[in-house]
This record gives sequence, structure tokens and C-alpha cells, in this order.
Amino acid sequence: MWGYYFNELIHSLPFFLKGLWMTAAVSGLSLIAGTVIGFVLGILRSGGNKWLKTVIGAWVDLVRGTPFLVQVFIVFFILPEAGIQLEAFPAAALALTNMGACFICEIVAGGLSAVPNGQREAACASGLSRIQQLRYIVLPQAMRTILPPLVGQYVLIIKDSSVVSAIGVVDVTRVGWLTVQRIPEGIMVFGLVGILYFTICYPLIQLSIRLEKRMTIVTTRL
Amino acid sequence: MIEFKSVNKWFGDLHVLKDINLAVAKGEVVVVCGPSGSGKSTLIRCINRLEPIQNGELVVDDMAVHDRKTSMTLLRAEIGFVFQSFNLYPHMTALENVTLAPMKVRGMPRGKARQLGLQILERVGLGDRGASYPEQLSGGQQQRVAIARGLCMHPKIMLFDEPTSALDPEMINEVLDVMRDLAGGGMTMIVVTHEMGFAREVANRVVFMDVGQIMETASPEAFFTKPQTRRGKAFLSKILRH
Repeated sequence: MWGYYFNELIHSLPFFLKGLWMTAAVSGLSLIAGTVIGFVLGILRSGGNKWLKTVIGAWVDLVRGTPFLVQVFIVFFILPEAGIQLEAFPAAALALTNMGACFICEIVAGGLSAVPNGQREAACASGLSRIQQLRYIVLPQAMRTILPPLVGQYVLIIKDSSVVSAIGVVDVTRVGWLTVQRIPEGIMVFGLVGILYFTICYPLIQLSIRLEKRMTIVTTRL
Repeated sequence: MIEFKSVNKWFGDLHVLKDINLAVAKGEVVVVCGPSGSGKSTLIRCINRLEPIQNGELVVDDMAVHDRKTSMTLLRAEIGFVFQSFNLYPHMTALENVTLAPMKVRGMPRGKARQLGLQILERVGLGDRGASYPEQLSGGQQQRVAIARGLCMHPKIMLFDEPTSALDPEMINEVLDVMRDLAGGGMTMIVVTHEMGFAREVANRVVFMDVGQIMETASPEAFFTKPQTRRGKAFLSKILRH
């Protein structure tokens, strides 16, 4: 019987790969949009405007402090009551982007605050504008601190994307749920799901470890 | 060139500059000295508004620094500032450190900025170290690059905030030599320093500060031989003992 199920699973592989593609699509889109928005929020959060800092801080804390599944349900089931009707994929991408952006905001703000204040002062004293200070002096130095946890956050976004299967997005997790009804060997089916997630996460994990090691060497030299 | 008129500054409740009145003429070299916490560094940091003042007037090169509406970008380009801890950009070479502001603030083309940068590095004795990163330079060399970074903007004023305090003794002279050379060339300079030999030799005027106030202003000779205030005498007796 096990052999039969194994063969069925192999025949289902194209279906799993389609699901993997959906996972990659929703994660990839959210990752890119979340990074752009997260950087903007992080820069504003570490700037001088107290009002902006408070508003962004409150939103970030709210998103980071609530379950992602709840956020996905709010976007998909509650927003239509306010007239914003979204299909499953856009709703999933929106919720995942929002969550990613909030975590990336904190990573970026932390990285920016780790740059010694003397660097900003020297740049300011040279006549560089705030944007020039950020672009040429602060951000390049902050990236050393930001990159390792940023890549780690990408891994988390990919894994958290499995939650969007709850609103009907046919990602690799949902494919697993649908397949296990035909092939009732949970360990086999979800083992494959796990392996597929691992194939896209592992390279990023290794990249994060390498960046962290490189960061340690750089800070030791400094 | 620089004029403080009844300037007051607070950090929260702490009154750090008390009714400062000071005028510095073009080409003058003024040394500001005093015990720790006297407000010396805060005084010069107000000149390019690294620290804002709360009260009084501060006019630099005919621009009202005390007025929040005054755009400081252009004025800061005319004022070179050398920090105690150098503050070189660690991700840039010495040449990149000194050419960044000329290119991005003055809009100088890269080739011309590079030429200028090498010329100024040569002037401070580091013409062959343009490709080095700050971590590859000694403290004295880093501080000379920091001075070069200020000079590349052809400033009207150079401000030095304890430029040799973070250096090993054997490196102090190489930095002071560069500063002597600048002073000899007619640069308007305000130098916060404990290097009294330098002050005696190069300064036109010594300003002694204590507890946020200017206690005495005199020529170096007058200050070092006959300080007028009790605090001035006490300060000199401690500092000249070493």
C-alpha cells in the first residue's frame, strides 16, 4: 500500500510544483514590496519627526503583536465590509507585504541607529543634505547590520506564506491538504511539502549565515 | 567673521553656555581652553549649528545661524570641522572621504575632485595614502585625512574640537604641524585644545572658559604669564604641571 501511495505522490508532483510556484509568487511579491515599504518606514521611524515615529511605531507593534492568520482573515473577510473586495491572491500578498514590511521596518531602524552618530555629524558638517547623508554615509554602513537579519526575515516570510492557504490560495501547503485527502499518508505528503519549502529556504539560510560571519569579521576589523 | 552676542544654550535644564559674547575676525587663530565640561566643544559646535542655540545671536560669515530659517547647507560647506574622534567614513578610502563633499555639495566633476583631493592629501603629507581605508591608517594619519576632508571644500573657517586628544603622544606633532601650516597661511581657526605649546606659538588669542562662561580673553603671552582670574590661574597651574 505504501508503494502505491508513493507512486501516486510522484504522479502528483506537477501539482506540487504548481503550488510551489504559487508560494514563490506570493512570497516573492511580498518580499520585494515589503522590503521597499519596510525600508521607507524604517528610515522614517529613525528620523526626527516624533509624530511619524509614534504612528509608525504603533502600527508596527500592532502588526507584530497579532497572529498573521488573524491579519489574513481581516484583509480577506473584514475589508469587504468596508468596500474593499480582494481576491485570495491579492489579499494574501497584501497581508504578507504588510507583515513583512513591519518586521523589516524594525530591522532597518535598528541598523540605522547602530551607525555611530559621529558619522552623521561629520557628513552634516561637510554640508551634505539629510538625503545625501543617508545615501552616501549612513545607509551603506547600516546595510552591514541590516543584511543578515533581513535575509533571515525573508526565510520567515516564505514560511509564513503557508498561512494564506487558509483563504484558498493554492500554494504548496494547500496542495498538501488537498493531496492528503487522496493519499492518506500524512508523513509522506507533508514530508514532501516540508522538503519543497526547505529547497527555497535553505539557500537563503546559508546566505544569512555567510553574511553574519562576514559582518563579524568586518566589525572586528573596525 | 564669527560673532556671538549674548548667546545662551541649555541641554534640558543644564545651562551649558551662559551669556557668551565673542567675536573672531577673519584670519584670526583663537584657542579655546578650559576644564572638562566648561562648554568649549559646545561653543564651537554651535558655530555650524551641530548644536542649536536657544537665546542670543550668532552670526557667521554674515549669516544668522541662530535663525532657524537660515539654510545651513551652504554655510557648512564654508566651515571645515575636525572632530576629536576623526569620524572618517570607514567604508570609503581616504581619497573618497575627502572628495565626497566637493562632488556632492559643490557639484565638482569627479576628475577635478580627485585631482584636488590628491593635492590636499599631499599637503597634509598623505599623498601616497589615497587608496587606504581609515582602518589601515594610524590615528595621526586619520586625523590628517580629516583635516584634508575639511580643506577640500576651500573653507573660510576651520574648527577643531580637541583634534589631538584621541592621539598617542608620538602622533600629536604631525597633526599640530598641519595646523601650524594652516594658521600660517591665514586661515580663520578656532581650536579647542589642551596643547598649550601650540596655543602659545600659533594663537592670536586665548579664550578661557569655565562652567559655560568665558572667564578670560587675552593674548597667549598675557594669559600664560599673568592670568587675570582665579580659575584661570588654577587651570594653568594644573595643566602646565605636565
